[in-house]
Amino acid sequence: MSVKVNDKYYAYSADNEIKDEGEYGGVVTTIMKYLLESGTVDAVLAVEEAFDLYDAKPVLITEPEDIIKSAGSLHCGTLNLAKFLTKYLDGARDFKVAVTCKPCDAMTIRELMRKGRIIEDNVVLVGVNCGGTLPPVPTMKMFKEVYGVDPANVAKEEIAKGKLIVETKDGEEKGIKIDELEEEGMGRRENCQRCDMNIPSNADLALGNWGVIGELAGKATFVEVFTEKGAEVLNNVIDEKLVETAEPIEKGIEIRDKINNVMVKQANKQKEKDFAGTTGDILDVLNMYKEEMSTCMKCYGCREACPLCYCEDCCLETEGPEWVPGGYTPAAPFFHLTRMVHMADACTNCGQCSEVCPCEIPVSKIWATVNNKVKEIFGYYSGVDNGDEPLPFTEFKLPDNR
Amino acid sequence: MVAKNVPKIEYVPTICPYCGTGCGLNFVVKDGKIIGVEPWKRHPVNEGKVCPKGNFGYEFINREDRLKTPLIKENGEFREASWDEALNLVANKLNEIKAEDPNKLGFYACARSPNENIYITQKFARVACGTHNVDHCARICHGPTVAGLATCFGSGAMTNGFDSIMEADVIFVIGANSMEAHPLFGRKLIKAKKNGAEIIVADPRYTPTAKLADKYLEFKTGTDVALMNGMMKLIIDNDLQDEEFIKARTENFDELKKVVSEYDIDKVCEITEADKERLTEITMDYAKAEKAAIVYSLGITEHSHGADNVMCTANLAMLTGNLGRIGTGVNPLRGQNNVQGACDMGALPSDYVGYRKVADQETTDWFNNYYGTDLPAKPGLTLIEMMNAAHAGDLKLLYIHGEDPVLSDADITHTKEAIANLDMLVVQELFMTDTAALADVVFPAAGWGEQEGTFTSGERRVQCLHKAQEPPGDAMLDWKIMEQLAIRMGEDAHPEQFHYETSEDIFNEIRECAPIMAGMDRKRLDSPEALHWPCPSEDDPCQPLMYAEKFSRPNGKAIFMPQEHRGPVEVTDDEYPLLLTTTRILFHYHAAMTRRCETLDNEVKTGYIEINTEDAKELGIIDKEIVKASSRRGSIEISARVTDNIKRGIVNIPMHFSECAANMLTNSKSLDPKCKMIELKACAIKVEKME
Repeated sequence: MSVKVNDKYYAYSADNEIKDEGEYGGVVTTIMKYLLESGTVDAVLAVEEAFDLYDAKPVLITEPEDIIKSAGSLHCGTLNLAKFLTKYLDGARDFKVAVTCKPCDAMTIRELMRKGRIIEDNVVLVGVNCGGTLPPVPTMKMFKEVYGVDPANVAKEEIAKGKLIVETKDGEEKGIKIDELEEEGMGRRENCQRCDMNIPSNADLALGNWGVIGELAGKATFVEVFTEKGAEVLNNVIDEKLVETAEPIEKGIEIRDKINNVMVKQANKQKEKDFAGTTGDILDVLNMYKEEMSTCMKCYGCREACPLCYCEDCCLETEGPEWVPGGYTPAAPFFHLTRMVHMADACTNCGQCSEVCPCEIPVSKIWATVNNKVKEIFGYYSGVDNGDEPLPFTEFKLPDNR
Repeated sequence: MVAKNVPKIEYVPTICPYCGTGCGLNFVVKDGKIIGVEPWKRHPVNEGKVCPKGNFGYEFINREDRLKTPLIKENGEFREASWDEALNLVANKLNEIKAEDPNKLGFYACARSPNENIYITQKFARVACGTHNVDHCARICHGPTVAGLATCFGSGAMTNGFDSIMEADVIFVIGANSMEAHPLFGRKLIKAKKNGAEIIVADPRYTPTAKLADKYLEFKTGTDVALMNGMMKLIIDNDLQDEEFIKARTENFDELKKVVSEYDIDKVCEITEADKERLTEITMDYAKAEKAAIVYSLGITEHSHGADNVMCTANLAMLTGNLGRIGTGVNPLRGQNNVQGACDMGALPSDYVGYRKVADQETTDWFNNYYGTDLPAKPGLTLIEMMNAAHAGDLKLLYIHGEDPVLSDADITHTKEAIANLDMLVVQELFMTDTAALADVVFPAAGWGEQEGTFTSGERRVQCLHKAQEPPGDAMLDWKIMEQLAIRMGEDAHPEQFHYETSEDIFNEIRECAPIMAGMDRKRLDSPEALHWPCPSEDDPCQPLMYAEKFSRPNGKAIFMPQEHRGPVEVTDDEYPLLLTTTRILFHYHAAMTRRCETLDNEVKTGYIEINTEDAKELGIIDKEIVKASSRRGSIEISARVTDNIKRGIVNIPMHFSECAANMLTNSKSLDPKCKMIELKACAIKVEKME
């Protein structure tokens, strides 16, 4: 078998247990197991259920038989693994790791690789499609009040054909259109609603269930290869007879593209709404959101949660001059301006900042508004391959007049 | 498969050890050591969000200066000792004094420690040492709440859950600065406001919480009874009281009507210095609302008339029928992470676990039977009384668990004199605090993250903690230390009563003795939602709302307890013209732990005195100038923070910083007779320029 970049396949595990337990054929599980067993990586960074399916936690797996525990998608898994990788695993400096990543995980990891904070050679990015994640506590409330289902009785949740479908442990199913839910302020996280990357084309491989039709519907995964590294990995698992593949049905490829396009279109519509009323320039944005930002209690949560905020000696805490006076709340506007100026060019809209803000400041939306302007002016798209484009705040792009 | 250089990392869920909101967060444990925290988004109270203490409050855990071995003081200096030596020394002394008179012993329980430790502390005092002299810091915090609300409603706790506030139409916040003291409850105020609620804040300081109010009322410290009586008269005069509720569910309305009839608005505004129009407005808003909630905290309890203040809030709620429904209620915000638990566990001279009364002979008989003891049905001494008894030479030994009275009790000079008078001071601690430094024997204790157990938050939610790492050095679990002491004290100390395999065994005993927690089975308890008391049986849903049908008094009705305005014990005069209040700030929770957290210490390194711009001008003081603040008790040098955010005539010193300690100035002779609270929030001082 000779897998190449841009190849597309239907794939499924050759191991029946994994095929049944895993999501749509268990290919992610099989790949991760293989990467560990073969010594290609020393560890796998994945997401696992902690207390229940609303409680996701990162897990660093070193034993292949533990991989199966992280199988299955957790729609309430809203965390960004780039933070864990950088902060607690030292950016994979000392060992090789494979990471299951949503598009926003992958985007953030790519930015950090660009800045040398994560060692690209030591990381395999096994990407999974994502249509958006759900905040745990509001989602439980929504299941109870809108779906009429006891959250403890939910076995599985699924986003398909524009609906959020809930399946209970008794086998009952109920689906409601995501649009309707989101109009009422429920549904996916705010940042997810404007996210235009559903297929992680910046990972080494991308896996998902869109476009799998025919005999293998529900039993296989749609795999797309994006890098040489990804091609080699897929090649190996096929050669080792751990994964079986089939040519994707042409119509299935079309369906996958269509679903993606529809979602991107929706995201762009949301962006228009989100970015309306401001030029997107930093000062204009600061002025537009000053009321929200003026409630900031200086918990530093946004900085702590942001994977791109990694300065060991953060200037928000320096002794002098006192840019942001210690001990005063609300935090000075300079607190937010400083963070903006440091990383708004690289912001990947992962939404961690908004999620942790105790004052309900829409941090992610504010940063995305500025980042949108960065895209417009500098043509730099964080998280994807920008070729030789310099990071806008790091380097001027000047004509080469040699 | 051997993985090289790959650390073992896991998340261990826990509950924050600082304030009474009870936020959940995840410890990050790397190769057996806590190295950080990460959001626990699944947690129902705070949904992964925390205040700065939540983010950085773990930084003290693995510091070098954690106490790791027992210490014995010899010739004024500490030396390391083995557990055997230190435990024997203390056990012998306990026996010696117990033989003389067990009531010459005193015990402070730790309101930050898990319920299991606290239960054992009071059990140790009672069962091993034969005394009811056990108390904890609620005495100087929400003791008035416990006393006041128990009198009016039959139970001394918050009447609703935290989430209830988001359904309110009007929220009356008095003497509470939630955005700094209970930030993740403050978040619920923000959400309530987004939901259309009107937020009213009454405070002598224009705090961050006042800043988010729709209506702010500035008024004078120590005049809360007059203020609220004035509000009640206005309500009655305008016929806005809830007649149906009053008739069906309360008693003693006529007495209330009589007392408040004297508090006409002009007289009230004179006493409180509040703006008449604003006061009238907020009263009408509160009274006319469909669902109105009262939120209060130490601003009204830390007074010589704290219990009176609390009963006025209860009166207001009863008058307008704002009890027993979501979005209403009387909502005291408990301070420490487990001070609710400390009260629940009976670390009180007047109560056994579950608020069962010592003074009731039948109850004491029950416990004597259960423990195999012979305790009298006579309550013991409170914190303050113990310290005063030590001062007078009547109390010989104090055993203090995880509390720093030298910093946090009023009148530090008095506290130090009292301690010097003791035959022995035993301190069980994580760090060498100001109090530990004065001890004869120091026991190193296991702390947050180093033990299993439960905390009870201010909304009566009992939550499980999980052990994430081993304690440092030879530090031991509190309850095991006490077991060891009991063993060494011998048969009369009933050591067999202190033997448990796990902390869960202790919890099960608590369930046997406290009907309010009887139904707390481990499966339901060890979940993010956990369980609220009252939880009488395993079938009961154990939900937070109280008094939907009836109150906890024997006849099921609440009772109006009208109060007369008394004001602070120490008033200002020509010599000491400024009224000092003391507060907490957002970035620190007292001192022992947060001042040892690098990031929090960096944020606020030392203290200051807040002084109104006009007052400062008169005194010729500028911002950041070091000034001298003095009272009848003592004086300190402290940096001035000149601001418009405090009422003229009032000054404020946050109490965290021993180098400029607020309590050098406060008055310990200002007891609330109803609950022995001291007036930490009002005393007379003067401020002068340094020579």
